Amino acid sequence: MEGEQAMAELERECEVVVIGAGYSGLAAARHLARSGEDVLVLDARHRVGGRSFTDVTGAGFTIDRGGQWIGPTQDHLARLATELGVATFPTYTTGQGVELRDGTRDLYVGLIPTSDPHGAADGIAGMLDLDLAAFDVPTEAPWDAPDAATLDAQTLASWFDTHLSSASARDILEVAVKAVFGTGSGELSLLFALFYLHAGGGLTNLARSTGGAQERRFAGGSQQLAQGMADELGDRVMLGAPVETVAHGPDEVVVGARLVGSDADPADPSAAHRPLKVRARRAILAMSPVLCGRLAYTPALPGRRDQLCQRMPMGAVTKIHVIYDSPFWRDDGLNGQIVAPRSAMGATFDNSPEDASHGEIVGFIAGDDCRRLESAGPEVRREIMLADLELAFGPRARTPMEVVEQHWPAEPFTRGGPVAISSPGALTALGPALREPVGPLHWAGTETATAWCGYLDGALSSGLRAADEVLRALKGEPVGLD
Amino acid sequence: MASTEELLEAYAEWRTRSNANPRLTKMLKGWDRVIHFTTTDTVQGYTMRVEGQQLSELALGHEGQPDVVVTGSSEDFCDMYWGDLNPSEKYMSGEITLAGSQQDVMRIDAISMVAFLDT
Repeated sequence: MEGEQAMAELERECEVVVIGAGYSGLAAARHLARSGEDVLVLDARHRVGGRSFTDVTGAGFTIDRGGQWIGPTQDHLARLATELGVATFPTYTTGQGVELRDGTRDLYVGLIPTSDPHGAADGIAGMLDLDLAAFDVPTEAPWDAPDAATLDAQTLASWFDTHLSSASARDILEVAVKAVFGTGSGELSLLFALFYLHAGGGLTNLARSTGGAQERRFAGGSQQLAQGMADELGDRVMLGAPVETVAHGPDEVVVGARLVGSDADPADPSAAHRPLKVRARRAILAMSPVLCGRLAYTPALPGRRDQLCQRMPMGAVTKIHVIYDSPFWRDDGLNGQIVAPRSAMGATFDNSPEDASHGEIVGFIAGDDCRRLESAGPEVRREIMLADLELAFGPRARTPMEVVEQHWPAEPFTRGGPVAISSPGALTALGPALREPVGPLHWAGTETATAWCGYLDGALSSGLRAADEVLRALKGEPVGLD
Repeated sequence: MASTEELLEAYAEWRTRSNANPRLTKMLKGWDRVIHFTTTDTVQGYTMRVEGQQLSELALGHEGQPDVVVTGSSEDFCDMYWGDLNPSEKYMSGEITLAGSQQDVMRIDAISMVAFLDT
């Protein structure tokens, strides 16, 4: 792939082209391939997995830089792990959590810090109220919820204003919201938040480790599952192939991409590349709405689909891994969980390997804190993290072996995390465009899931749903809306 | 092991406090349920009803079809009723288990925590 001169265009033909080799795209492609369809998957990066990214640090530790947990009822994910022989193990939760607030340190047991018992009771009652409201919002079509327009005209923050009486409860719930959505409650449509919570079994379920969304992890990392799907597809997955154009007619799609060498940065438009043209009968776009909106479509997408892409921005999260020679906090009866309502680093988990051969704490800086601290850089974020860890776990926390961060908003082929959110008004006005095919173009990605939206499991089910749509379309059957 | 008398006394105390707590009674709105308590260290079971946002007296034995079954030691139940035991700790360790629909379990988990923290 060296050389200055333009390289000859590479042309490929297939039945179905899938854009994005994350969990959703790979699940879609695998389902299609197993159904006998000729499929080709393109991904901009030199790796598969999308928002699941298992990496080895400079010091040789394996970390999950992105999505990493599996919990009860995530059946698509569990089935895939079993099929590929990837073992899971429980998140460490034995002992007490630490609440940090304005320089004070309190220990607690359970879901919510209890240093202010009345505030904690207010928070628990509020979460129950919120979850019961969420269960009234249909996950297939939240825009059909009773009072959808009223709910979509409010933010989750305004719901907190009217349903929580205690400032400390508000602080704690805000930590949970930022950890779950990567944004503060003030940015979230209440209707969208209720839909999302329902899709994941409620905020109580999403905030929990044992019995909830963070219950178990994958031994060796979550990206193995994506790799396992890609291995089955073999050379039907092309990496280093950022797609730029999508031309579509009633029954044909022509996708234009740049094929860059494995030593070149796919995000660099000046990198030496070979033009790639893929002609297919159908396409599955298995990416977040934001990334879908960045491709050049001919003809242009219908207004409401493009508007939807404009109005479902990504959350913002920096995931920081702090590695120690051992999980020493466990010796003090601590489970590694910190809740720090007034700190930029809102929450942590014990992320040590199953055999505890070293210790790892993973923390999240999310939402406005993530954006505010972007220009401050990794050293400042590291200092914030270590200061909180020292306050929580003592002076030993000051001297980690390694600190590694993943700042997702700066990832050119993700642009935020963990998930796309919806601001007020978008779902009721544009929601049906989320999954509605545009001619031969079908939409996948965890944001289109009706169960576990925003999670690895939702990504898988969305890919399978899009693949089924395509199979019906290829047989000439009408592809109705959901 | 707690005696039946001790357990009934502790429950009566817990019930009085809970029924007088407006935050808690609000959480019981629209949630009329039958809850069975099964003890792991005695042969005595108990039944509690939630009716009209109030907790009933504790009946001896298992009455009616339960919506939720709470299983644990009589000692832990006593401590929980006296407010000396954080129920979350026992749920997490599995020493007290809750069986029922997801929503009913979620509700009783929240209610027992609010009773612990706020009464």
